[in-house]
Amino acid sequence: MIDGVNRIGVNEWEVPVGYVPGMRVPGRFFLSEHLAQILEPGALQQLANVATLPGIIKNSLAMPDIHWGYGFPIGGVAAFALDTGVISPGGVGFDINCGVRLITTPLVQADVAGRRDLVEGLFHAVPTGVGAKSSHKVSPKALDEMMVKGARWAVENGFGLPRDLVRCEEKGCMKEADIRAVSAKAKQRGIPQGGTLGSGNHFLEIQVVKEIYDAAAAEAFGLRAGQVCCMIHCGSRGLGHQTCTDHLKVLEGATKKYHITLPDRQLACAPITSPEGKEYFGAMAASANYAWANRQMITHAVRQILSKMFRIDYGEMPLVYDVAHNVAKMEEHTVDGKRSTVCVHRKGATRAFGPGAPDLPPELASLGQPVIIPGSMGTSSFVLRGTQIAMDRTFGSTCHGAGRIMSRSQAKKQLSGKEIADHLLREGIMVKAPSDNALVDEAPEVYKSSDEVVNVVHDVGISRLVARLSPIGVIKG
Amino acid sequence: MSFEEMPHTADIKIRAHAPTLETLFSEACEALMQVMYGKERRAQVTAELDVDAGDTEALLADFLSEVLFRSEVDGLVFSHPKIRITGTHLHAVLDGEPFDRDRHAGGSEVKGISYSGLSVVQDTNGYMLEILFDV
Repeated sequence: MIDGVNRIGVNEWEVPVGYVPGMRVPGRFFLSEHLAQILEPGALQQLANVATLPGIIKNSLAMPDIHWGYGFPIGGVAAFALDTGVISPGGVGFDINCGVRLITTPLVQADVAGRRDLVEGLFHAVPTGVGAKSSHKVSPKALDEMMVKGARWAVENGFGLPRDLVRCEEKGCMKEADIRAVSAKAKQRGIPQGGTLGSGNHFLEIQVVKEIYDAAAAEAFGLRAGQVCCMIHCGSRGLGHQTCTDHLKVLEGATKKYHITLPDRQLACAPITSPEGKEYFGAMAASANYAWANRQMITHAVRQILSKMFRIDYGEMPLVYDVAHNVAKMEEHTVDGKRSTVCVHRKGATRAFGPGAPDLPPELASLGQPVIIPGSMGTSSFVLRGTQIAMDRTFGSTCHGAGRIMSRSQAKKQLSGKEIADHLLREGIMVKAPSDNALVDEAPEVYKSSDEVVNVVHDVGISRLVARLSPIGVIKG
Repeated sequence: MSFEEMPHTADIKIRAHAPTLETLFSEACEALMQVMYGKERRAQVTAELDVDAGDTEALLADFLSEVLFRSEVDGLVFSHPKIRITGTHLHAVLDGEPFDRDRHAGGSEVKGISYSGLSVVQDTNGYMLEILFDV
């Protein structure tokens, strides 16, 4: 454990003002005793750095998958007052609206066990890895529509069902998108990449529901024990990466213009109300919409493959939910007893709105928003539901994944792609990746235990467990 | 080559040494291309690019961001960058070849060049940099 941090609960820790110079509020993070033993000093420093930003409300927060990133720590959450606060690409990341979604099927494990052709079919239907190009090259006009309408563009163009949209955070579209703030370079990168997975930690998994913890919520979400599901994890591809790069440069200038002192250049920011801040937010929202359209296009490809191989109807594979985990949003929260709109940054954190949240469909309104938490390759993923405690304590946020504990360079020294694939196969998990390197980078050993991370958020109450899923087929990006 | 990968949990942190600022930037570019596409990169075409920025660190970040952009949109894998820096302006001539899935698909896609921990310093042997690539 790191010096200078106070334990204030079983799973709760405080970073006091003064941990780094200029902190305006304390930091607060949620970790079990065991996870706290492996917390990196760099991540804590980044959590404290966020607390120096103007207009931050209550706390700089981090979820139990906290780890060392750039700008904000991964797992970082912070809300800013609209009048005095700032917006920063360092609180969102390069992969704007990297997110995850889960679709269910009418299949059971016995239907797909040992079906290597399913894994191969999905691998070839969804372009993956470095240099992958889409078979759906969109026109510049269609790209603009993707960025304005998000998942709705995809559904209107045959890549899904209208009912998919109500099962997406923000209904798969941020209305604040401003395509004029997206550069020609970002658009050029976006045109050939619709429907591509990308690389790194992005994946497509065939999973089986292994345990149900909350029967009522599972039923409403469409989940039942033994059912085969498909999880998709990807983001806004080169379009989002370029948007972050472009606006980081603009906001570097804005930081100086508005006399903001920063401990880290990656936290470059501007007042939310400034022209620079508004332009970044508009471009970020457009990129987020592209990401929702992208995940919807991949969903379509997955449904087509499953439909063809198992003779099931396209409509029998509904979406449980789609969540963003790298995004900034204008949301209404209770601050000091008053309802206020604030700018919530989530950098490797998931929205976890509780019962009664405004954009939940009626069948989910009393339960809270479905929260999808991917595990690492070979380990369990989880479905949880958002809670009022999250609304009260974390601006409606929870963890987003397991969180890395081993660097890529160390993984390369210790592990081999073939051994990982062989080991997973012995466990009943078929794996397909564009290279051995992709397997080594994302081996189960390099991540914290996803079980331990979700147990913390469940115990703290910022989301509650609904179901556990285990992988049986993995397509790595 | 004189760059190495340093421990970093989430991303790829590179440290490089070189006798001049130009060769230091060249090392950073080679590191970026190696992370993305591996070591086997051939010279079949040449590409040129120009970048302006307010200071040395920004010039490095913007140069590598431009290499990322050109590599992706032109489908090229770059090597052997020859760099000229005049004040806050950079001109680069790079060798390149078309991306070949069989030889170049083994790397990690870099999403962006981070300012976190970015440093360029002059020491007794020349220059040293540290830089973080988001993967």
